[in-house]
Amino acid sequence: MLLVTVAIGTAAALLAWRERPEPGAVPLVALLAGQCLWSAFLVFDLQASTLDAKLFWANVRWIGVVAIPVAWVFFSLEYTGRDRYVQPRYVALLSIVPAITVALALADSSLLYTDSSLVSENGALYLTRDPGPWFWVIAAYTYLLGLLGALPLLELIWHDSRPFRGQSAALLVGILAPWTANALFLAGAIPVPGLDPTPVGFAISGVAYLGALTRFQLFGASPSPTPRARRLLFEQLPDGAIVIDAHDVIVDINESGAAILGTSRRSALGQPIRVVAPESVLVQTDDPTAEQRGVTGRHDDRLYDVTVTQITDVRDRTIGRVITFHDVSEHVRQQQRHEVLNRVFRHNIRTETNVISSYATLLADDDDRGAAAKITDSAARIELLATRAREITDVFDRAHEPADPVPLESLLEDALAPVREEYPDARIECDPVDDVHVDGVLEPVFTNLVENGIEHDPSPEADATVRIAVETADDGDRVRVHVTDDGPGIDGYEQTILERGAETPLEHSSGLGLWLAKWGTEIAGGAVSFDTDGRHGTTVIVEVPVLTPPRSTDD
Amino acid sequence: MERKQLLSHDGKTLAALYGALPVSLRSSTNRFRNALMYSSAYLALIAMAEVVVVSVILDLPPTPAALVVGLTVFAIYANDRLADADTDALSNPGQAAFVRRHREVLYVLASIAYGVAVALSVLGGPLALGITLLPGVCWVWYATDWIPGGGGHARRLKDVFLVNTIVVALAWAVTLTFLPLAFADAAVTGTTLFVFVYFFLRVFTNTEIPNVRDVEGDRAIGVSTLPVVFGVDRTRHILTGIDLSTAGLVIAAVSAGYLTPILAVPLLAGLTYSLGVTAFVGRYENERLLARAAECEYLVVFAALVVAVAV
Repeated sequence: MLLVTVAIGTAAALLAWRERPEPGAVPLVALLAGQCLWSAFLVFDLQASTLDAKLFWANVRWIGVVAIPVAWVFFSLEYTGRDRYVQPRYVALLSIVPAITVALALADSSLLYTDSSLVSENGALYLTRDPGPWFWVIAAYTYLLGLLGALPLLELIWHDSRPFRGQSAALLVGILAPWTANALFLAGAIPVPGLDPTPVGFAISGVAYLGALTRFQLFGASPSPTPRARRLLFEQLPDGAIVIDAHDVIVDINESGAAILGTSRRSALGQPIRVVAPESVLVQTDDPTAEQRGVTGRHDDRLYDVTVTQITDVRDRTIGRVITFHDVSEHVRQQQRHEVLNRVFRHNIRTETNVISSYATLLADDDDRGAAAKITDSAARIELLATRAREITDVFDRAHEPADPVPLESLLEDALAPVREEYPDARIECDPVDDVHVDGVLEPVFTNLVENGIEHDPSPEADATVRIAVETADDGDRVRVHVTDDGPGIDGYEQTILERGAETPLEHSSGLGLWLAKWGTEIAGGAVSFDTDGRHGTTVIVEVPVLTPPRSTDD
Repeated sequence: MERKQLLSHDGKTLAALYGALPVSLRSSTNRFRNALMYSSAYLALIAMAEVVVVSVILDLPPTPAALVVGLTVFAIYANDRLADADTDALSNPGQAAFVRRHREVLYVLASIAYGVAVALSVLGGPLALGITLLPGVCWVWYATDWIPGGGGHARRLKDVFLVNTIVVALAWAVTLTFLPLAFADAAVTGTTLFVFVYFFLRVFTNTEIPNVRDVEGDRAIGVSTLPVVFGVDRTRHILTGIDLSTAGLVIAAVSAGYLTPILAVPLLAGLTYSLGVTAFVGRYENERLLARAAECEYLVVFAALVVAVAV
């Protein structure tokens, strides 16, 4: 069994050696080398026939014994991405106790073993030794390092990635097998006195490590970047982020967070949050349900939306909080612009165009009635543009709200009513509509499309015809509304601009109606397409998802 | 009628099968030969024959030493071929392609072979373990830039003139001579030293002959070998001189009583064979075959030894 241990350990060490510089490869080679050394020297110990020879091999065996826990810890740290601790000074620090142990062993000190003797068991000679005080020191140290090394790997046992679960399980079996054997030996549970079965456990370790290397791609799929990536994400997050513990002391803060609070990371860490954060933040950390969500930066005029997230332990107890600051200055400015423009479109332009129309009518005399009519028409067009612009802002406002499912039939009735009122002589034909619900945001879309069809029809209003046909997909998930007119069709240039989704000062659409149709349909989760053959007018196809009707209050 | 047609059809199938058999057999033989040659398995067999020769000359009992040496040689040379697969593409494309195709399997097999060799060597005691580990350490030292404690980009030993051949010859000579000795727990004698020097010189010659084939590739990657430094003709003269010196050593060993005349005959037969091979260096176009022929010198010695012992 010891020879099997050496064979498997050497093969696994060579396979691990090839994987350099993958994280953990070199410490794993050191660990396997320690196991092989321990096993080989135990064979020499068993082969020796004198007390001196057995003592020699038992003492030099300590080189392999003490190498294993140190290598195990550094393997675990490096493999799980904590490589900042894998530095010569830490290796030297953790090697102090092992180095003292080897020195005591080579000196055959009574601190390590107080007495050594030979016992005969089934015709074979075994070395039995009485442990000295230092033996228990190195034993405890070895078990402590074993535990420390196992902890980062235990985290991976519950990882979402199957290879990482397999790798960590194999590695833990690899360390637990000899550990258990050694614990049994130390507890005196081994029937043969002086025979430490730990190296036998190394055979299982070797198989486990080989399995991790070959079956679970130990160095082919490595979790080592994960902690660093999370750290990187935290540090380079454009939003400010502060972590406070249960005592409201700042335990972590990124550069953006420090800049928002007008301090540095080094100064803020370890400070109570009350010392560095404005009062408005404290209100929200004290009461997460507080209404006020925005604060102003200490050294700039930017506005931040504050979010406080509780950090809980496995028993759902709050152990800290993460406070994030999201810069909403630009959003607030846009909102303000939007509100002002909305007022201008809704009120000011309408008032001014009414004034223009009224004065044009007053000024007109019999000879100049045509000019007054032109001024009035122009004012009416300006008002129409303002109305469209206002409808567009309304549509975008509704984008932030949840979808409002309404029956398509009633939506079309509501959409067509103002058009019928404005163009009483035009023919608007609507086919029977399926009982489906769509987003209410589509109402101005259909109003504009039908209006557009009538306005651009060159024939007299009485001959202008717009037909609406509705077609529901077989699976009932989507509905297509065809709006067809008899006009000359939509210019290809206009369609291209709409499909591209952007205008320039030189390349732009002629109005706002089609933009309104496009944006409204997209907000409803659909798309607009055109079917123009140049002879039979244009068909605008609005395809949108069918929504689930809201539950009635009776339900 | 139908039955007749069926029989006729069966006859055609059988004929086709018989016709295909030699092709299939030839293909399998080729695959086996490629695996044996390109994976370095044949070198392992030659090394085992050498251990048997050493054991007979030193009058040692049978031990696992031959197996340990065979496994070690396979592991070390397979690793070497894996490391040099890219540079060998120019001088030995067939081998490089085989190694690249079976890279993973070859590395795992080599690792397991070396693991088993190390484990078996533990049975031979600390000296046997040390000797078995030596070629592995040499290999790491020889083929990589990594030198323990060096901490920098130290020049590879492989690239230094003569050091590469001396390291290889020393590793082989130590392993072949002292591993069977360690397993048998025998003492070092004058005969032991003779065997050591003999194998050192033989391996030196056999390492430089393939370098004639690799001269262009070695020069391109900056590796200094005898043919690179002295040219092919002078290399042939140097190697002939080493062969003749080795023959003189064998005769001296017989005169000094370290070797019986009956055991000297197979060694001299091998040297005669080697002189013949060396004479073709730089004069025979198939240099790869020449290198293989040089490596087979030990098989000649082994065969002659079997005959000598039988007689």
